[in-house]
Amino acid sequence: MGIYELSLATVVCINIILALGLNMITGFCGQISLGHAAFYGVGAYTAALLAKAGFSAMVSLPFAMLMAGIVGVIVGLTSLRVRHDFLAITTMGAGFLFLGIVRQEDRFLGGELGISSIPSIGLDKAGYFLLVLLLAALAAAFSLYVKRSWMGFAFEAVADDEDTARMLSVDVPAYKLAAFAMGTAMAGLAGGLYAYFARFIMPDDFGFITSITILSMVAVGGIGSIFGVIIATAILTLMPEFFRFIGNYKLLVYGILLFAVMRFAPDGLAGLGRLVFKRRVVKGETP
Amino acid sequence: MLALFLENVMLYIELLLQGLISGCVYATIAVGLTLVYSLLRILHIAHAGLFALGGYIGLLLTNTTGSLILATPLAAALVGVLGMAIYRLCYQPILNRPPYVALIASIGLFIAMEEIFRLIFGPYGLSYTQPPLQTTYTFAGMTIRAVEIVIVTGSVLILGILSWLAQKTRMGVAWRATVDDPQMAESFGISVLQVRYLNFFIGSALAAVAGVFVSLLSNLVEPTMGGVPSYKALAIIVLGGLGNVAGTMFASLLLGVTEAFGTIYIGEYMDRDAIAFAFMIVILMVRPQGLFGRR
Amino acid sequence: MTVLLDIKNVTMHFGGVHALTDVSFQVITDEFLCLIGPNGAGKTTMLKAITGVIQPQKAHITLNGKNITKYPTFKRIRMGLALTHQIVQPFYSMTLKDNVALAAGHGRIRNIFGAMVSSGRCREHERALELLDLVGIGEHADQPASGQPLGILKRLEVARALALNPKLLLLDEPLAGLNQIEAGRLADTMALINRKGMTIVMIEHNLSEVLRVGKRLVVLDNGRKIAEGMPGQVMHMPHVRAAYVGKEAENVTA
Repeated sequence: MGIYELSLATVVCINIILALGLNMITGFCGQISLGHAAFYGVGAYTAALLAKAGFSAMVSLPFAMLMAGIVGVIVGLTSLRVRHDFLAITTMGAGFLFLGIVRQEDRFLGGELGISSIPSIGLDKAGYFLLVLLLAALAAAFSLYVKRSWMGFAFEAVADDEDTARMLSVDVPAYKLAAFAMGTAMAGLAGGLYAYFARFIMPDDFGFITSITILSMVAVGGIGSIFGVIIATAILTLMPEFFRFIGNYKLLVYGILLFAVMRFAPDGLAGLGRLVFKRRVVKGETP
Repeated sequence: MLALFLENVMLYIELLLQGLISGCVYATIAVGLTLVYSLLRILHIAHAGLFALGGYIGLLLTNTTGSLILATPLAAALVGVLGMAIYRLCYQPILNRPPYVALIASIGLFIAMEEIFRLIFGPYGLSYTQPPLQTTYTFAGMTIRAVEIVIVTGSVLILGILSWLAQKTRMGVAWRATVDDPQMAESFGISVLQVRYLNFFIGSALAAVAGVFVSLLSNLVEPTMGGVPSYKALAIIVLGGLGNVAGTMFASLLLGVTEAFGTIYIGEYMDRDAIAFAFMIVILMVRPQGLFGRR
Repeated sequence: MTVLLDIKNVTMHFGGVHALTDVSFQVITDEFLCLIGPNGAGKTTMLKAITGVIQPQKAHITLNGKNITKYPTFKRIRMGLALTHQIVQPFYSMTLKDNVALAAGHGRIRNIFGAMVSSGRCREHERALELLDLVGIGEHADQPASGQPLGILKRLEVARALALNPKLLLLDEPLAGLNQIEAGRLADTMALINRKGMTIVMIEHNLSEVLRVGKRLVVLDNGRKIAEGMPGQVMHMPHVRAAYVGKEAENVTA
């Protein structure tokens, strides 16, 4: 693989970690979050600052996850207070708040211009890709594990009907916070990895549009479905590259795609996959 | 000493005025949004696209016909009809799906609209060939432009008429009944479908008018103009309470003023847009149902 | 004869409506108590107050001697209460078996860290099948809850509540929506479970079943307790009959 392909693949893997994190919050636990990019940003800035201060990735990446997770729990606590109708807007607000503060903070965070000259992680392009690939695989494995565990079962209940879940002894607030903590920590990891990849980060990388982009990867994949989300993330990340001629029309295609999927196939790729699978089983073919 | 105090008072009044003006614009956008949300529980992000479209149509019609007075209602009507079409083609088929479906569909639609504007009209925006309402008036040491006066009076008038209609006319009562309990409304013979169409028409027309307002204020329409005001409008409908048009209007003004003052005093810590959301979050922490929400 | 649940002076009003006014009664361990009364008497409100779904303006509720008046719902459930709803609330996205299995696994999901490290569902699935069979819907176990008829969903509610292994089972009109045979069977099942050692409080309109399986009655009317005692006694009290007849007369003239 050439340098260019390696870079692409690395970005895909970073996005997978990011999307799987949101999948945990929104897909598994049913909490719609429109501010996921903020946690991505928290992770990126944390890792960038620590890296520039001389710490190795062994320190900066875990710290990035920790900071993102802490901010995630704070936002999660906020979300517990409001009606669930307002959750989406509250998380959107949290995202704008993060962005707004970072943009103005010149002394440490570089303000509008961001942070540049982030030191290299010490691996070459291929090595870095392998690292990110490994972490993405771990993220997927972790998601799968949680889904199969009793925590995932409780998440399903909360996502389906949180009042009934309460009736069945589920400590709903604790589970929601757990989902936020884990999902945002994953976003923080993705952020740290992005910082080392791009070596330069700025506030606009972590804005509302980014949050929507991530949400659409989850939605197109099929909310809650791990493989669907992975595939959708890959497609949506690579799409502008493969359809180079689209260039100028990239966002338009993207918008139409989002709309079309939700309008005609709201269960996303996972839903389509299930349909195909069911048809084949019904037809008597071996599944 | 007195001079300093008076200077400050002048500043405060100017800020208040600025806040009220942007508040009126916000109100015109937010009311349309809250109409849709209260009726269908959908966050109609595409509303932002209709807002921008209204600005474009208003500006283009004014440039070709030379008459703002003709262009504005026409823009409102056209966008209103488009709004109804959006309801029928986009939202109606997915009403029984979980809420994130309509939300993301709306977002996709908005992104597509922004892009269409960019591709057709160019990324740098359009301006009025002869910007209307630019005469300035000075009184008590402050300057105000004709357009600002028109915006305030216009929005107060329009929203006032709407509120009156909602209370006094049959259609208004039908709308309120449908918001409260669609099934019961239907059993009383109210056509829920008609109410929805009217809802989208009025809401979208309002968005268009707001778009024209903004185009007049900055003498510019550009593809991304819909984004930020609409995000704030979302914060406003949360604060104003569901289906509470009066509450939304009040929250809009409050937000406009808070922003104006906030930018001066905490502008070094966060930018203008963040102030709006910080305000929303603080209020929600104290009153999770919004300023005027129930329960 | 120990008192399992002691309810004192529960008063609840929404807006101008007085749902409950100063209602007190006790639930004895192992008994089968039926809470009856005409529509709108406040029976469901009473159950909601017991489980903590609503917070009455005034109340003093003790479970096994512990004052649970201020406890949140999930805490009361963990102390041994289980409730079925008048309006069924299944998890529509899950199968019947999973609905019950989740409840059966309540021990596992007590603690989020514990939940994270446990993953086998075999035992809970077995228990779920047992309970679904007990209430008579075992054959539908692997079907999704969405699209099921009311009769099945009502029995699912009961199976799910039983899976919580409660000390006190609160049933809100479990027989409504069931045909005569199903209702009789379910009532018998409840009686059986009660004999095996489960305290039950049941709201029911189906008076014939109530009189058949209930051991003691508490009658509410217009938010107040108007009678209490053995079924035979209570049904002969003139003011009880008047309450029911009065409501019927109201319905007729309305």
